[in-house]
Amino acid sequence: MHIPDGFLNSGVSIATGVVAAGAVGYGLYKAREELDEKSVPMLALCAAFVFAAQMLNFPVAGGTSGHFLGGILAAVLLGPWLGSLVIALVLLVQCLGFADGGLTALGANVFNMAVIGTILSYYFFYGIKALLPKSRTAFLAATGAVAWLSVMLASGAAAVELAVSGTTPLSVTLPAMLGVHAIIGVGEAVITVLVVGTVLAVRPDLVKTYGYQPPVPRFEEAEVNQ
Amino acid sequence: MKHAFLDEYSGLQSPMHRLDPRAKLVGLVALVVICVSTPPDLYAAFAAYLGLELILVLISRLPWKHVLGRMLIVLPFILVVAVFLPFFNKGGGSYNLGPFTVSAHGLLVLWNVAIKSTVSVLAVILLSSTTPFPELLKGLEKLRVPRLLTTIMSFMYRYIFVLSDELQRMRRARDSRGWSGKWLWQAKVIGHMIAALFLRSYERGERVYAAMLARGYDGGLRTIYLYDFGAVELGFVALVTLFPLAARLLAVG
Repeated sequence: MHIPDGFLNSGVSIATGVVAAGAVGYGLYKAREELDEKSVPMLALCAAFVFAAQMLNFPVAGGTSGHFLGGILAAVLLGPWLGSLVIALVLLVQCLGFADGGLTALGANVFNMAVIGTILSYYFFYGIKALLPKSRTAFLAATGAVAWLSVMLASGAAAVELAVSGTTPLSVTLPAMLGVHAIIGVGEAVITVLVVGTVLAVRPDLVKTYGYQPPVPRFEEAEVNQ
Repeated sequence: MKHAFLDEYSGLQSPMHRLDPRAKLVGLVALVVICVSTPPDLYAAFAAYLGLELILVLISRLPWKHVLGRMLIVLPFILVVAVFLPFFNKGGGSYNLGPFTVSAHGLLVLWNVAIKSTVSVLAVILLSSTTPFPELLKGLEKLRVPRLLTTIMSFMYRYIFVLSDELQRMRRARDSRGWSGKWLWQAKVIGHMIAALFLRSYERGERVYAAMLARGYDGGLRTIYLYDFGAVELGFVALVTLFPLAARLLAVG
């Protein structure tokens, strides 16, 4: 859910906008550094992928459905900065193309989903991953836990912004937002784990944060019979 | 394949469609900023903003059904976040509405977010439904938005349709095999679909990059810009900024 125009005051819009612009700027810098001229097609395809994946509804319970958000998926697959850039691009296209999310709330939406929901959550993921043993199961468990957490953090940030703007009282919005997103987050976690698990099984080299080392074939020194 | 989204109706012919995208960007963003910063009790000013936008919709010959349908996008947020406000907020006197008490302050906040999000969403619909998305991006580029950002977005626009086609094919294959998801533990199929979509997108990205290199790609794209910022554009920007500004100042008195 994207915050429309009119819900935030100018202070919140500007403050979140500055942080969001900084994150996007640094993401673009990292993209130039890591991918060089390859960044245009690769980032565009990854952003288009998140955009398309968000159109796919998954069942929650008894016929209700939610859709996938993809912040942690992007961070796990591409790293935190490129992942957040991809999410910011999706938000930008949704804002300009669909009027989904307000123009003056764009900074806040990018802040919530690309900075809190992707970069910050990625560092939680990094911390949890460091504590757990190094195995595929632990990696997936950390992914799932943080996917849930990222949805909660992003929705909590939105509730705080609305409260600081004087739109809604925090005591009502925060529990309501966290309550709804605690359920949405479970779906997000399940889907993220399934997707990362499948990609790990098929192309482990594409999961950037997994640190996959391709097995190097050993060559014994040839015996030469004289 | 059906994908009626993004810049639907941007190919119509109208004075609005012929404007330089820069003029529409600057003018409509200014309108949104003016609207968002208006105090909620200046009802006449909001009437003026809406009136101006409705005239622009008429000029641009957009079908009303499309405009109204697109406007529904703000509804869920208002329903979830703001509709309960009159019942919780206190202060500013209250009204009795059957068994409920409704606070005047809460009503004002609800009115504030409802009218501002309506005016703003209509402004963005006017922008996106009268400007083809690639032209909009070129306009942004001319307004000094980083070139890397606009280039990535123009590629995104190109491939969103390809990937949603891909997804629709997968969905049709899934449904024709009798899948009906009702519960979260049936989501495994969705996970596999998204993973397959990612792998295909990534590998397509690699192929596209190789194809671009083979055609002499060096990191930049050269495109022509067919618009000119002339007197009509200047008049449009003046209209959509000065008229709301005047309405707002006059509404105070």
